[in-house]
Amino acid sequence: MSSDHIFISTDLPPEEPASLVDDFTPSLITQANHHLCPGCGEPIAIRAAVEAVEELELAQRTITVFGIGCYTAFAHNLDVEVVQALHGRAPSVATGIKRMLPNGFVMTIQGDGDMVNEGLQEVLHAAARGENITCLLLNNGVFGETGGQMTTTTTLGQRTKTSIEGRDPHQHGHPILLSDLAATMDGAAYVARCAVNNAGNVARTKRYITKAYESQMAGAGFSLVEILTMCPTGWFVDTLEGPDYLQDTLAPVHNIGELKTP
Amino acid sequence: MTDRVLIEGSEAMARAAVAAGCRFFTGYPMTPFTELLEHMASLLPEVDGVCMNAESELEAVGMAWGAATTGHLAATGSTGQGLSLMQESLSEITNARLPLVVFNMARGQGDYFQATRGGGHGDYRHIVLAPMDIPEAVELTRLAFELASQWRTPVMVLGDYYLAHTYQAVSVPSIGGADPELPDWALNGSSGGSGAAKIISPLGGGVEGEEGFDLGAHYAACAAHIQEMSAGVDPLVDIGFCEDAELVVAAYGSVGKFVRYACLRLRDDGHRVGYVRPITLWPFPSEAVRDAIAGAAKVAVYEQNMGQMVEDVRLATLGAVPVEFIGGPSWDHSGFGIGPDINVPDISECILRAMQ
Amino acid sequence: MSYGERELMLTGIGGQGVQLAAQVIAQGATAEGKEVLVFGSYGGMMRGGNSDSTVVISDQPIEAPPVLSTTWSAILMHHQFWAPLKERIRDNGLVLVNTSVFEDELVADRYQVVEVPATDVATDLGNPLLAAMVMSGVYGRKSGLVSLAGLAEGMRRSVPPYRSQLIEANEAALAAGWEMAA
Repeated sequence: MSSDHIFISTDLPPEEPASLVDDFTPSLITQANHHLCPGCGEPIAIRAAVEAVEELELAQRTITVFGIGCYTAFAHNLDVEVVQALHGRAPSVATGIKRMLPNGFVMTIQGDGDMVNEGLQEVLHAAARGENITCLLLNNGVFGETGGQMTTTTTLGQRTKTSIEGRDPHQHGHPILLSDLAATMDGAAYVARCAVNNAGNVARTKRYITKAYESQMAGAGFSLVEILTMCPTGWFVDTLEGPDYLQDTLAPVHNIGELKTP
Repeated sequence: MTDRVLIEGSEAMARAAVAAGCRFFTGYPMTPFTELLEHMASLLPEVDGVCMNAESELEAVGMAWGAATTGHLAATGSTGQGLSLMQESLSEITNARLPLVVFNMARGQGDYFQATRGGGHGDYRHIVLAPMDIPEAVELTRLAFELASQWRTPVMVLGDYYLAHTYQAVSVPSIGGADPELPDWALNGSSGGSGAAKIISPLGGGVEGEEGFDLGAHYAACAAHIQEMSAGVDPLVDIGFCEDAELVVAAYGSVGKFVRYACLRLRDDGHRVGYVRPITLWPFPSEAVRDAIAGAAKVAVYEQNMGQMVEDVRLATLGAVPVEFIGGPSWDHSGFGIGPDINVPDISECILRAMQ
Repeated sequence: MSYGERELMLTGIGGQGVQLAAQVIAQGATAEGKEVLVFGSYGGMMRGGNSDSTVVISDQPIEAPPVLSTTWSAILMHHQFWAPLKERIRDNGLVLVNTSVFEDELVADRYQVVEVPATDVATDLGNPLLAAMVMSGVYGRKSGLVSLAGLAEGMRRSVPPYRSQLIEANEAALAAGWEMAA
């Protein structure tokens, strides 16, 4: 036994109190507990989004427009100003806000059902317009809130409740690669796709989100960060299998990386 | 020479809106709403306001919703068709308690139910004002912004092709005034990081999972607010010759002006006919209508549709007198609600038939 | 019965200046403090289709709706689309006819007909397109509703910026019409 061994004395109180969930919660999230499923990727993405707001000192000029999905729960848990929009309509609501508050920082948080199904024209029009807002797409390839049905981003072969034998292009059509589409718009300044299924990707997500925010604050135009997130419940896989399923099912189609930079 | 100008209805309403403090407008071109959008596009930059030619009605109402959350007076509009597309948002904007003025330059009068019943999903109503001509539209546009701010609700100004495209000599207010003060609920980002950042949501406020967040409680509060508006908004109505009238004719909007004129002429010919013209369509001026028909043997309702406001008239009069529908849908081949049936002699004929 | 309201219906073919004449008379009456209402309709195309307009002028707030079934006066720039107007002119109504081009029977004993070779006069002034201004000048004086100064002011308010080079000629045409009506 070497002499630098650490001995923990259990008959005295610890020198520092034990760490609580709250200690690791960014200050702009007001409530540590959320009721999203274990293994869900959305809280990780939202955490990155608000940490970047704080780090860029944007907290007192931020208005976040929420779409409708599981992540909507966070509309009530953030310490930044929030507007709750309808399913699909967040980019136009954000547009109205940004036009009246050009010095504000305005972003949307939407899922794939919200942004790519219901509101596809909204996000593309905002991109084409070069609207100086940031849209965050939480893409898990299914409708999570309603229990795992096919969305427009569901990949070929992916099994959902409405594509039981896997998405078949003859019956269900092909997935929409939203970021690739948005990157073709002249008004889009920054477009990137990332994921939250491992530590490296979480760090990359934070980096991309920060670049998108900086792009808006520089007045460069429309920015979009698509974040692939786990939905083990909606995918009907074990919680711990979520990250690998994302890697095998979504990531090969929705390619990770920066698609357009200013 | 006077300071009055000969001005198209669309331009008069646009000027009245900007003079009332409107600083954001958005819409999608559609006859007969188009000119209002064009005039707003040329007027708003003069006051550092914003006008957007939205890519669709869905996006127009979304943009107006966003602008309204900043506390600046915002407006949008369309025809009834475009309003159909906007209804999902209008329902939610009502529940989010946001002021917004909506100009419905309708094609004919087929959209009375859409306007007055809360045209979208859910259990809501908003204020509806129906001017008969340009001077009244100028006044009601001002009132619409005032009521929207006072009650934090959408207010619809329901016009039509005649109102949009007629020119009339009117005094229009100047548009150079100071920007209205922003309300304290308005968002600008500054409450972020305070521990109590503001939220504007059709689902209510509060923190989910904690006390204060309760969708049922929010909807109950919205319902209570609608009851309060229903009782608290002054109902406006134009009544003529009802004291000794055997027949009272009810009509609204531009068509109401035709009916009014027909009644004036029938009076000149000795017919004991009166008219009642609701100006607030919601809340409906039920009491005034009830009083107006108190001495009459019959009520006739003239509308350019299959009979919609007639239901409100029947509810207002509660069987006190027979209520007959004497209108009908427009024959107009263009679909703009300017059919040849809308003329004083034909309307007078309908009224005289109802008197027999 | 017209409640002191004076109605004017104009008819012609697109390009003759029917809408402009209605605007000039209406703007002139507005400038002179009158109550005024105008409702125009034209058949989609700018030139060649029907072009009609209704103007109401009064000292009192106007009760009339935008579309009227009878009129106190009329300006007939052309005969092609005038048929519906025939029965609308009230007995003894003031009717100005552009005799240079109008080719139809008028029941002269029912109306007070004023024959104005407007297109010829305008051609003599250098531009047949001034016919509507000549007619407006005649109408102002015959109707007693708008003065020559009022018409000139109304014309300046009505002419779009890209036609401002025509202001002088328009003014001369209004004056010529006014003189003819003496």
